[in-house]
Amino acid sequence: MSYISETTDGRYASVFGTDSAAKRILLLGIGFQMAMFAPSLLALFLDERMVNGINLWIKPLKFQLSLSLHMLTMALLLPLLSRQWQESRLIRFSASAVAFSALFETAYITLQSSRGRASHYAVSTGFEALMWSLMGVGAVILVVGSFIQGVAIWRSKSAPNTGLRLGAILGLTIGSVLTLITAGFMSSSLVVETGRYVAGVKSDVNGLPLVGWSTSGGDLRVSHFFATHIMQALPVFGMLADRWAPKGSKAAIVMATAFSVLLVVLTFWQALQGRAFLVL
Amino acid sequence: MNFELIFSIANTAALICWVALIFLPRWPFLLMLVRNGIILALSLAYSALVLVYFFRVQGGGFSSISEVRTLFMSDPVLVAGWLHYLAFDLFVGLWIVAEAQKIQMSRLIQGPLLVLTFMFGPAGLLSFVITRQVFQRSVATL
Repeated sequence: MSYISETTDGRYASVFGTDSAAKRILLLGIGFQMAMFAPSLLALFLDERMVNGINLWIKPLKFQLSLSLHMLTMALLLPLLSRQWQESRLIRFSASAVAFSALFETAYITLQSSRGRASHYAVSTGFEALMWSLMGVGAVILVVGSFIQGVAIWRSKSAPNTGLRLGAILGLTIGSVLTLITAGFMSSSLVVETGRYVAGVKSDVNGLPLVGWSTSGGDLRVSHFFATHIMQALPVFGMLADRWAPKGSKAAIVMATAFSVLLVVLTFWQALQGRAFLVL
Repeated sequence: MNFELIFSIANTAALICWVALIFLPRWPFLLMLVRNGIILALSLAYSALVLVYFFRVQGGGFSSISEVRTLFMSDPVLVAGWLHYLAFDLFVGLWIVAEAQKIQMSRLIQGPLLVLTFMFGPAGLLSFVITRQVFQRSVATL
């Protein structure tokens, strides 16, 4: 139990389910996120600096948590793959790429907060402009990895044909694609020059609790949020449907998928109209 | 932020750990408390101070005496530097304890080596390594 002379006798090898290289790298990735989360959380209480009216540690904390959730989702859904698939080079590679990209994204976001500077949309120095484009590459890798895993679960055909399996396939693939579209649209700044805000006050001050979404105008992060969390919502919904209505669980998943896509499209359209998601 | 307070809390905690390492029995719980409690708490405080204050120091850095001096002109960074000493010296102290117990080194010899590590970290480490080397060589050959 000591970190000074830890033995590698595999005591931590089977935290849940079977062990595989992909699972190990994803759990290591989550570990690294938590390692940044701990001092960032303490920094939140020490630091009085603001970015755009909000304590500058809120953003790294959000990213550390949400990328942990992304990797936890992938790790928990690995058992839906056959042994062979779990140990395949493709799955190992995509898990590694996701874990490393997540590390890169949050390490830079945390560093920038430490320096008192913005991370996304920050292009005022050569270094920041370079990192902003590398962050784009990293973000694409994050969703390509989960997309690949969704397709692999579909191809693998080893898990029982349940609502959970269908939810995982549809959640990972559609969630990844919609995230790529919504987040890509935000970062391209092509249509909306300011990135995430449309009309309204361009700050998270007076935004919705926890998420910080604008209450005075459109906010493209709403549809990004729903798109991304389809990856968790559909598998969880599938699991519940398997328990409560096993016969209709797959039909329920198809309906839930349609509803989720509609929700993303509607919130995306709502934001482009410059309208707030919710006004409290 | 009261950096003087952080400094004296950390100093007191480290001092208690060293006294315990030098005089108390080698209870596993005690070693675990130092390792997973105090050292990690010092490391957490260090990390947060660096995240919040390090980059605010204009002209600070690691590549010249004057850059390092500039860093230490800032109270929070100076406290962070001190926490760095405290945490790493204690870590080395625990390593010495673990290695010394392995060869059943007398606590009468461990004590002074630990005091030296507490006061002047690397000098204590060097002394422990040489002491152990001489001891092991002579036990094997004499």
